[in-house]
Amino acid sequence: MKYYCVLLIAVLSLVLFLSLQDIPVAQDLMPASSHYVNSGVRDTGATNLVNAILFDYRGFDTLGEATVIFASAAAFKMLFSHKRIFSFRYGLSPIVKTGMGIYSPFIFIFGIYVIMAGHISPGGGFQGGVIIASLSILLTLVYGLWYKVRRTVFSPAISSNIESIGGFLFLGIGLTGILTGNYFLSNLDAGFFAGTPGHMFSAGSIPILNIASGLKVAAGLSIIFYSIAGGE
Amino acid sequence: MKFTLVFIIVIMSIGLYGVLAKDNLIKKVIGISIMEGAVFLFLVSYGYRQDGAPPIITGYETRIVDPVPQALTLTAIVIGASTTALMLGIIIKIFNNYKTLETKEIRRLRG
Repeated sequence: MKYYCVLLIAVLSLVLFLSLQDIPVAQDLMPASSHYVNSGVRDTGATNLVNAILFDYRGFDTLGEATVIFASAAAFKMLFSHKRIFSFRYGLSPIVKTGMGIYSPFIFIFGIYVIMAGHISPGGGFQGGVIIASLSILLTLVYGLWYKVRRTVFSPAISSNIESIGGFLFLGIGLTGILTGNYFLSNLDAGFFAGTPGHMFSAGSIPILNIASGLKVAAGLSIIFYSIAGGE
Repeated sequence: MKFTLVFIIVIMSIGLYGVLAKDNLIKKVIGISIMEGAVFLFLVSYGYRQDGAPPIITGYETRIVDPVPQALTLTAIVIGASTTALMLGIIIKIFNNYKTLETKEIRRLRG
């Protein structure tokens, strides 16, 4: 059985190699890409072009992407709707708890920095959201499940609300474009603050959309983890 | 570029072998994740331009790599993470029902 698998994979790899090696290695940018590179800063005000594409030119796709996370979290809530508690109920030893208490603010601030500086440097809402979600997971692992249930903004009920707030913020920014007589998710045309490219308060709606998707990703991944670990 | 292509195909083959030949469901999920990695590498490497700078405009670049595949890869990473999480969740459910992760033993209906 395994030898058939290896044979099949060898044949498929050969076909893949023969078909992919004919793709020409481009020297210059494609027309769409060179438009983004040449006029991206003028159109959107964001110096990070990946974020400019994600949240301005292809903002609608990003809304769909955020919907995928929502669907995943919703499916988790449905799959694990009953109570099951794993073994890390009471958390780890006091040494780990003290260490975690010292550096958890720094993880949180780093996550917020990655979200807020998404339009001027590498980063963005999705990456920073994952960092904050990792903080939520660490807090649950270190302090135990009951800590998360009782307090902190990472409790599951508040996480659900935060995810909804992120989604509605994204949609609200999109609808502002329509209300001002432009397209859905239009950025500088809709009258958002343009600012100087490269500064913190610039790029119109892109930082707000970063915050929205950051909230959504952080809360969504926390919900997914919490549903597996056993919450309500 | 040829070297990158060979590398991508090797990663793809490893992932495909994990999906086809392994019986354990967790190992199948790992294989799918490795195949996702190969696809991300393919997208990003074909967006590369010779001597290109990262797509962050500072005003001093002469050449910039293609930003569109990077944005699409970011989308693909998020969706890949969501689908991996969902697969793992369904595997937990299967384990609760059958008390095993081997595909050859998950055959019977259980009440």
